[in-house]
Amino acid sequence: MSEDLSAARDRWLDEHAEELDDTWREHFATTSGFDVQPLYTPLDLEQRGWSYQRDAGFPGEPPFTRGLHAAGYRRRPWKVEMYAGFGSAEEANRRYRYLIEQGSTGGVSIALDLPTQIGLDSDDPMAADEVGQIGVALASLADVETMFDGIPLEKVDHVFTTGNCIGPIAVSWFLALARAQGVSPDAFCLQVQNDPIKEYIARGTQFLPIEAAVRLSTDVVQHIAEVAPTWLPISVSGSHMKQAGGTCVQEAAFTICNGIAYVEDCLAKGMRIDDFGDRIELHFCTEMDFFEEVAKYRATRAVWTRLVRERFGGTTERAYQFRLHAATSGRPLTAQQPLNNISRITMQILAQVLGGCEQTRTASFDEALGIPTEEAARTSIRANQIIAYESGVPYTVDPLGGSYYVESLTHDFEQQIWELIERVDGMGGALDAVRSGWFQQELADGAYREAVEVDSGERVIVGVNRFQVDEDPRPPTFELDRDAIQRQLDRLTGLRERRDAERVRAALERLREVSAGDGNVVPATLECVEAYATTGEISAVWREVYGRYEPEAMRL
Amino acid sequence: MTAATSAPVRVIVSKVGLDGHDRGAKVIARGMRDAGMEVIYAGLRRQPDELAEIALQEDADCIGLSILSGAVVPLTRRVVAALEARGMEDVLVVVGGITSPQIETELAEIGVEGVFGPGTPIERVVSFTREQVGSRRSQQGR
Repeated sequence: MSEDLSAARDRWLDEHAEELDDTWREHFATTSGFDVQPLYTPLDLEQRGWSYQRDAGFPGEPPFTRGLHAAGYRRRPWKVEMYAGFGSAEEANRRYRYLIEQGSTGGVSIALDLPTQIGLDSDDPMAADEVGQIGVALASLADVETMFDGIPLEKVDHVFTTGNCIGPIAVSWFLALARAQGVSPDAFCLQVQNDPIKEYIARGTQFLPIEAAVRLSTDVVQHIAEVAPTWLPISVSGSHMKQAGGTCVQEAAFTICNGIAYVEDCLAKGMRIDDFGDRIELHFCTEMDFFEEVAKYRATRAVWTRLVRERFGGTTERAYQFRLHAATSGRPLTAQQPLNNISRITMQILAQVLGGCEQTRTASFDEALGIPTEEAARTSIRANQIIAYESGVPYTVDPLGGSYYVESLTHDFEQQIWELIERVDGMGGALDAVRSGWFQQELADGAYREAVEVDSGERVIVGVNRFQVDEDPRPPTFELDRDAIQRQLDRLTGLRERRDAERVRAALERLREVSAGDGNVVPATLECVEAYATTGEISAVWREVYGRYEPEAMRL
Repeated sequence: MTAATSAPVRVIVSKVGLDGHDRGAKVIARGMRDAGMEVIYAGLRRQPDELAEIALQEDADCIGLSILSGAVVPLTRRVVAALEARGMEDVLVVVGGITSPQIETELAEIGVEGVFGPGTPIERVVSFTREQVGSRRSQQGR
């Protein structure tokens, strides 16, 4: 059959050669650089030695290429999550109540301000201009209590926050809050990103040497597995690396390399992948290269599944049940003609849905202009609902499975990921690749290449370098409440006067001892948090014990 | 044009404040280098005083700040003040990041004219910097 097909394809190529050569681009390739042929047929799969059973399989079964769950979205549509948070805990509280009323089903997703993420209090001199600027300021458990006032944890169901370099503090807030609300940790799911490695590569909230940061992170994974086994203590994230200039392939491969580093550190602490494999999440962002994005999610599932079996020693079904989380990316959204971003967001949601992601976070069309307005946030929730309830897309599992093109791309994608894993292993692993600056340089190269392509017009960004209109870019429409920031500072001053100073001092001292030794730091951190020690005070202990991250100046 | 005025423009590109997203900063740094400037990328979370010191030691013509958090105006103001405190008013300050007409007005009031929003071609930043540094140098007879 394939010989006939091969001859038939050659005939087709031959007969239509002129038409096929007459194209509007010199070269068709995906953003990761895979050449795209004019047509895909069963021959492309045959050339790759593709086997349905081995490479695609069935949804809900290894290698999970076609999805982690047998019934896909027939069981329930993907969760729609919005990321929000700004100003003070009171304002964040109002915003979360609004999002829950509007039908956001992903629970509460908390953006932290930069001082909090970097382990600085709102009244730290370094924090002066940044309190509540890109997220909510949580200087202590008192702020967390305010933020959840009138929001019962068991009703929220899912709480997400970043807390990448303050993982032990972030989980302690919610262990303490659950206790205060009188609910068991399994009454809701707390998810913390708790992925410091990529901070050093792309996101930039690191404040300790990388080894110390990884230790704090895996201490969280270990402790949560014991006390709150239904929580999600780590979300290894590629989206920031992609947004810093990575291709889809680099995003997937570098994330998996960082994931290997965390898992191997957990295994070294005596944990078994069989007991926590299902608590690990890989998190990516979806940009505009539609089929490549679909292939990325499919390929990632297959690669991670093989790692679990062959490298981490997984033997149970649970070991394989990792989660794949997708967020639409704010980066392709333009300040020019901002309504165009609704189309971009819709395309991105569709790609990640067709890629089989069970939980999606969605950006808002005015993000390039500042913190999203309520109207923009609602429009993004609606885009998800339109795909879920009007388009019929979720009616069958993995509808692109078996596409000659998508399966070929998925296959090539997997191979490239394996090559990059091997390369990073050759450098000594992810931490060494960070220390040598290799990851960072790869991303910077990609970002520069893209900027040059956009400036030259080779890469088209609608409304930016083509199809522009005369417009005054709309100024940011969201105004920050300066008084709220002052109230935050006043609250913190009040807290410092009110709390039991001796209890704080003793808890911080205990944390210092544990941090300097080998024990798990989370119980001692929880004691500090419950004594209302601040984010900055707890982080200062780690800075003293482990040393500080120092930026390096670089002559170009 | 004397030999001195045609000497390469010396630029410090830096993140200032706590925001750690440095994609834009690195792209501009490399673009300026490829345009023949001498560029130091100072990295993350530099304090205004620290930055002014680096500029002093490196005899910089220009400091390029990249700020994506909402704190553009106060942070830029602190860098300008740190330069003034060292008598370095002649150092050009340019800013890249999220901007708005209001931000641009406020920055213009403290003498910062080069404010570049998302999607600005590298070439525009390069030519602005080159012109401004050129005229500052010729005013000083350098």
